[in-house]
Amino acid sequence: MNFNEIVVHFPALATMVLFLGAFLVTIFGGKNRGVRVFLAMLAATCSFVMVLCVAKYVIIDGNMITYWLGNWSPVKDYAIGIGLEVDALNAFFALLVTVTTYLSGWYSIKYMSRDEGGDYYYTLYLMLSGSVLGLVLTGDIFNMFVMIEIMTFACVALTAFRNWSKGSLEAAFKYLVLGSLGSTCTLSGIALLYAQAHTLNMAQLSAFLSGTLNQPNVVLALALLLTGFGVKSYCVPFHFVAADAYQAAPASVSMLFSGMVNKAGVYGLIRVCYIIFQSMGLSTVQTLLVAIGTVSMFVGVTMALSQHDFKRLLAFHSISQIGYVITAVGLGTALGVAGGLYHAMNHTLFKGLLFLCAGAVYYATGTTNLDKMGGLSKKMPQTCLIFLIAAFSISGLPPFNGFVSKWTIYQAVYEKAVSGGIGYLFVAIVALITSVLTLASFIKVTQSVFFGHSRESFRDVKEVPGSMLVPMWILAILCVVTGVWHEQVTAKLLTPATNAVMNVTRYVDEMMGVGYAAKYMGANEVVYSSEMVTAGGIWNPWTWLMLFGIILVAFVLVSAMGKSGRGKVIDAAKSDDKHQVFFGGEVADASAVVGSDLFWGFRKNFSGYFKVLGGIHSGVVNDYAMWAVCTLAVIIVYLNVVL
Amino acid sequence: MMIENYVCAIILLALGMYMLMVKKNLIQVVCGLGLLDYGVNLFIVSIGYNEGATAPLYIASELEYLGQEGAVYFVDPVPQALTLTSIVIGACVTAMALSIVIRIGQNYGTLDADKIRRLRG
Repeated sequence: MNFNEIVVHFPALATMVLFLGAFLVTIFGGKNRGVRVFLAMLAATCSFVMVLCVAKYVIIDGNMITYWLGNWSPVKDYAIGIGLEVDALNAFFALLVTVTTYLSGWYSIKYMSRDEGGDYYYTLYLMLSGSVLGLVLTGDIFNMFVMIEIMTFACVALTAFRNWSKGSLEAAFKYLVLGSLGSTCTLSGIALLYAQAHTLNMAQLSAFLSGTLNQPNVVLALALLLTGFGVKSYCVPFHFVAADAYQAAPASVSMLFSGMVNKAGVYGLIRVCYIIFQSMGLSTVQTLLVAIGTVSMFVGVTMALSQHDFKRLLAFHSISQIGYVITAVGLGTALGVAGGLYHAMNHTLFKGLLFLCAGAVYYATGTTNLDKMGGLSKKMPQTCLIFLIAAFSISGLPPFNGFVSKWTIYQAVYEKAVSGGIGYLFVAIVALITSVLTLASFIKVTQSVFFGHSRESFRDVKEVPGSMLVPMWILAILCVVTGVWHEQVTAKLLTPATNAVMNVTRYVDEMMGVGYAAKYMGANEVVYSSEMVTAGGIWNPWTWLMLFGIILVAFVLVSAMGKSGRGKVIDAAKSDDKHQVFFGGEVADASAVVGSDLFWGFRKNFSGYFKVLGGIHSGVVNDYAMWAVCTLAVIIVYLNVVL
Repeated sequence: MMIENYVCAIILLALGMYMLMVKKNLIQVVCGLGLLDYGVNLFIVSIGYNEGATAPLYIASELEYLGQEGAVYFVDPVPQALTLTSIVIGACVTAMALSIVIRIGQNYGTLDADKIRRLRG
């Protein structure tokens, strides 16, 4: 038995070992904390190693793995068993999933040690990891649905895990309602597909569905599946529960949510749009995804500006960054997909790191309220340094990884704008503004948590223990590494994954036998332009400079036109200190600048906008369901009209 | 031939969504989730149905008549398996949702969705 013969079993085994670990933890880990941590980490380590082997075999060596469970291989060109198919895209996402799982597992050993019910925690943790890993490795669409359901249950239970903390129960309930709504959409879509094609294998479905996008029932199935996976990726009309869940869950779980659960949704979107329906060649579907992504970007980041809770703020940034990913993936170009996948990876790294930092701060101080913190950099220097690395990464400062992926996304959007579709320029501008606002928002967090004046109650705060710092340092180093050596990352990881997304024929042929695609897809075969434009080719500095110039002129014009208040003498008796300019040279020793004070004027100026947004995030579960159902209706109508 | 089933499934789905959007009592919201589930189940099981067909069980001697006149005629077994899975999942959803609702009722003292909104904005 050599390596290549064994490695084909690893996709199934890596998933199974996590579920097995979940059962073992329940049976043997109830009494002894050491036993359950050992079992959980043993399972996680096995899975991690196996996925690394799979990634090497698939991404580096350029093979694909096809694995029929129970050896039920296709009969007469008909898939009858459940198949796992791992191409570079699956392997890429599996890598993200296991890295997140593994580091979160090490972190939670210490972080969760103060909570009761540790055996339940590790059971759910392993169930969640196993389900997401199974989701990204499977080749069977119903198997995917089952994994989504397990994922939803584990997420709901983990959200409610600290059921004494504020709002965790209602967050869990809302998550369950919206998650079930999304699952219902997914299952209806799958049933519609089965009624047409009489198969559940994604490769065979993909062959069957080529050239059928003019049939109304196929369009309906596409709309349902888009909505279903949209709910799981928490893009904007479905994002309400994400903010609640990320805030209420323990930080190690929030890391799992933002690191892999919403990546599973993104993976589903890519798989459905690019491979199964082969719809990404159509400009109308591109427009839909880019619109969703752009709105997600902007709404997420503006909502983050007005948050007072550390983790809720991070949650809205998570939504915003997922908006980047969906926008880039929705462009339908190779550069866009590469940028989107790069950003998905970077988001896993830096957002996981940020949540771990929030957890460390919570572990040390017992609060996540930004207005009650301050001056922690002296007490927790390592956490502060790690947080700065993560904040620079998410804000897109060179040389950290966020810069590279955002840069690629800008280029991809710009390329799209140049090759027709002037509306994409608007998307590029929104992406830039979002990046600026992200930076602003993290300046606020840094100022209010780590810098500024400290508080009396933080006198005894200490740095978190080493077992929590090590996973954080690993993620921080990865953030720098993937930013500095971006050319190697692109060549080794992203190019194979992008090629896998762009090559439907190979996916179908590998699963169903060579020649299957040519036989059944025939003339309808979709060929995406998989030509990866070199990063320098699209980049034209002069046009970007012109763009900045235009924005600058617009800014000057707008500010010159307006605001009667400028230069007006304020009645000193009526003015309150809050409206004074901060840091204007006056001595301000005793005025602690808390998180809400920064960008106060900005929020005041746009108070109408923030009021409307705040009203939309009403906290009532019916409203959230209403948004989801209305979005489903809009997507169905839109796709039926344009396709 | 199966048009009633499909119409009923759509009605169940629509009613479920209506309850999610309109009903303020959390127990009723959970009922809405149940309705969604039943709608999908009815839909899937209808897909696999063939007029006048029997249960998908056969013995080896029946196999040789496949495709000939008088051969045994089955309904599609796969949707039935899918429905079974979906029913199990639906039961889990209901159980979990109700257990959370119980805890919400204890903590908040109400089941009114308009009052259970500590996380907002």
